[in-house]
Amino acid sequence: MGVINFIIQNILTQASVTIALIAMLGLILQKKSIGQVISGSLKTMLGFMVLSAGSSIIVSSLTYFGEIFTKGFHMQGIVPSIEAINGQAMNELGLGRDIALTFLAIFIFNILIARFTKWKYIFLTGQAILWMATMTTVFGYFAGLRGAILIIVGGLIGGIFAVAMPAIAQPFVRKITGMDEIALGHFCTIGYVFEAGVSKLFGEKGEKKKSIEDLKLPTQLEFLQDTYLSVMVVMVPLYVITAAFAGEEFASSLSGNTNYLMYAFLQSIQFVVGVYVLLSGVRLLLGEIVPAFRGIAMRLVPNAKPALDCPVLFPYSPNAVIIGFITTTIGSIIAMFVLPVFGLAMILPGMLTAFFAGGTAGIFGNLTGGRRGAIIGGIFHGFFITLLPALLVTIFNSMGFVNATATDIDTVTVALLYAWIIGPLLKVF
Amino acid sequence: MFGFSMKNAKESKKESSEEVTAERKDEILRSISLKKDKINQSSEEEQARIYEEIGLAFNELGEEDNAIDSLEKSIEIKKSLGDGYKTLLKLYNKKRSEAAKANDDELLQIYLKKMDRMMQISKDVTRGVR
Repeated sequence: MGVINFIIQNILTQASVTIALIAMLGLILQKKSIGQVISGSLKTMLGFMVLSAGSSIIVSSLTYFGEIFTKGFHMQGIVPSIEAINGQAMNELGLGRDIALTFLAIFIFNILIARFTKWKYIFLTGQAILWMATMTTVFGYFAGLRGAILIIVGGLIGGIFAVAMPAIAQPFVRKITGMDEIALGHFCTIGYVFEAGVSKLFGEKGEKKKSIEDLKLPTQLEFLQDTYLSVMVVMVPLYVITAAFAGEEFASSLSGNTNYLMYAFLQSIQFVVGVYVLLSGVRLLLGEIVPAFRGIAMRLVPNAKPALDCPVLFPYSPNAVIIGFITTTIGSIIAMFVLPVFGLAMILPGMLTAFFAGGTAGIFGNLTGGRRGAIIGGIFHGFFITLLPALLVTIFNSMGFVNATATDIDTVTVALLYAWIIGPLLKVF
Repeated sequence: MFGFSMKNAKESKKESSEEVTAERKDEILRSISLKKDKINQSSEEEQARIYEEIGLAFNELGEEDNAIDSLEKSIEIKKSLGDGYKTLLKLYNKKRSEAAKANDDELLQIYLKKMDRMMQISKDVTRGVR
């Protein structure tokens, strides 16, 4: 009995062990050799540890940034980073094990829904499912759910979204790609449909509709070539300017013997280092789990429609991606200044979201409203995807998250569903 | 929603499955063989284009494995997001679906990985990574 208690209390409570066990289950179900099962499970565990290390780096950099921002601008400046939210939830908040089990539950519910209903979508973007599992767990926890219920409700809601989002995008995707066999699996879909609606309303109509693809635009976004470089392009000026506003006296009290501006510069690089380490951890963590479970999903739902990551649409409308990126950035910057006027936190722009979500939204906007639609729709989209995460800031703060909010808009919608509907309902009953 | 329907998807499906006439088949085969002769004397960029054209021609003939082989060579030489890319992704997905139906996990994983790679190529080309 003592041994069993020791295992339950000291080993199974460790998130890294739970995650390794999930990977082990997937590998065993795939009938891998003992060697592959052991190495795969250990790699997954290593991934979790690397992710935790990345999270600590991000938190220390964001804590510093939070202090100088509050001093410099007398308000909270929030960095939109789903990675930072995931890292903090997994480690600092101790929700790693629940997130891992919810991640598994989302896969299972996705398979069940696809197997037994007419919606045959299997969501293949593993990283997006991890972000979804993070948000259902964090906000389920906030709403008061614990233990198995937290995981089952999170799995069910995440599983429904994993099928519903590709399903609502599919009428557009069919029109964009000219085929029905492949779907879009990216948890920014509500934003895409929002842009399509705005673009339809304000865009060109009928024969007057001119596609952006008829324009000649530069096809390459050189500064975005490297993920980390593009994060740096935003973070370095953000930190240095903020430190300058915070003033030498205050900023120097945080920088020790280093010059305060130099220290801000180094801290901004530290943030990028944190994202780099955390994402390397995520890759290691998902490297074994995702292939195992999507193999199982595909065999259990043989007529599945694979829902792929957003770059699946880029080849069909490359100019719209550029316009979408630019206009979403403009919309986010407008929202950054407008939202604090209404008492919300200032959400700083995030280059990667603007590129991937903005770019894909641009394709939707161009489809329904041509050039004008894509431009107006893109600006609205940028505002929309900044507004929704801003609504979560108070809850994140109350739970102890440091200076960050989520990005992918479908996961934010799920969070609001918990905060505004599920939570209050639970309190009533 | 927004006036879209399944009609277009169905139409495009019908088009692609249309049989190629014997005459057209001869024409395509001749063009493939001419193109193959040209490959060795061409620059890298042209090679990528020729392989893409050969792949698309094989696809029209319904020779999927040959089409995949040529389209993969084209993308290996130069990443691009043209018709070759779109056809290759479609063919991978078809092969993936066949592997799933045959319950062949190994083959299924191969095609899922190849589809992942296509997503990376799309990201890279759009962001201008060579």
